[in-house]
Amino acid sequence: MITLPPSERDLHAYVDGQLDEADRTTLQTYLAAHPDVAEQVLAWQRDAQSLRAAFSGELHRVANPELDPAFIRQRLRRNRTRHYASAAVLLIAVSVGGLSGWQAREMTLVTGTLPMADAVQAYRMFAVKDDMASDWSPTKVSDAQGWLDSNFAQANRLPDLASAGFKPVSGRLTPTEQGAGAMVVYRDAQGRTLSFYIRPPGERNHLLPRGSRRDGELQADYWSGSGYNYAMVGPADDPAAQAARQALKNPI
Amino acid sequence: MNELDEQLREVLPRMRRFAVSLTRDPSSADDLVQASLEKALSSWSSKRPEGDLRAWLFSILYRQFLDAHRRSRRYSRMLELFTGGKDDHFEPSVERTVVARSTLQAFERLNTEQRALLLWVSVEGLSYNECAQILDVPVGTVMSRLSRARQALRLLSDGEITTPALRILK
Repeated sequence: MITLPPSERDLHAYVDGQLDEADRTTLQTYLAAHPDVAEQVLAWQRDAQSLRAAFSGELHRVANPELDPAFIRQRLRRNRTRHYASAAVLLIAVSVGGLSGWQAREMTLVTGTLPMADAVQAYRMFAVKDDMASDWSPTKVSDAQGWLDSNFAQANRLPDLASAGFKPVSGRLTPTEQGAGAMVVYRDAQGRTLSFYIRPPGERNHLLPRGSRRDGELQADYWSGSGYNYAMVGPADDPAAQAARQALKNPI
Repeated sequence: MNELDEQLREVLPRMRRFAVSLTRDPSSADDLVQASLEKALSSWSSKRPEGDLRAWLFSILYRQFLDAHRRSRRYSRMLELFTGGKDDHFEPSVERTVVARSTLQAFERLNTEQRALLLWVSVEGLSYNECAQILDVPVGTVMSRLSRARQALRLLSDGEITTPALRILK
């Protein structure tokens, strides 16, 4: 219920038709008795009326097909599809780039640096030949370790393979791209040979994780330590060579 | 979906009218309506409150307009740095040199919120409650702002605001 005299808010509510029936009647009676207030209310009503008139034409503007909900829905879908498409293309591009990069890396690894390939080659050339010219032999004054140390600073100790029946029998310096390498050949009573190979690291100072690979009938076990790469090469399937490899795994 | 589209089509002319009252320009009004419909359609299922569809759409449109307006104000301020000019064409102020001769002209010189309020209440017949929800203020605030908007419209229509510039011209 409104109270009299009415507040300005009540007058606006009256203009906007937001009073209930009883209040409206009360106000109408009041306005009839107060022409000055009635005049103000009438002015507001006239303003509202002319605004309605001024804007009524706007409701009858020609329809704009681009504003039709169906059209907008379609446009939203299209945009979404386009976003998904760009995301997919991006994903494909990144994957292709990544995969080919990885492929290229694999290829350079395979062609460039099969680990200790020269150790295997040296074994094939020298270790299996009895008449190999040797830079060191057991008859020399110094032992094999002394010979190695005189050519390489801080080389690893030569593995002691005596437990497996192998003894060092000859040594040979070999040239590599990065400087001198050396091979010490071991032989057992049955004439089987193994080789211990030492060389400076390859390009970009490439040190090796401890590993093993098979190359034809040969097996190369390799590792790195104190600035050199090492390998032990021997027949892959020979039980005596396997025993020697076991001995190698114990700390050198 | 089709039922919703039908409802939207019914409200569409009113959205366009409201947009024109805000932008004062039919083609940018339609851009505004389009942006608002996109917003409404993409947030339809999650955000739509119970109640009058028209009021909900008006509130989306109003917010879109305020955002765009704010952006363009920033832009024009930046422009002023280079041109030194000042374009406050749409800012109502007592320094106005033009006296409105019709209610519509007077209406166009009100500020954004006053225009929106008068259109909602006087033209569209929204309740004070719905306006309060759109503007996110208490109903009492809506009523006092509406009262101020009406006074301003009255004064502008009567040409009672004269300006220093006009007096000098006399």
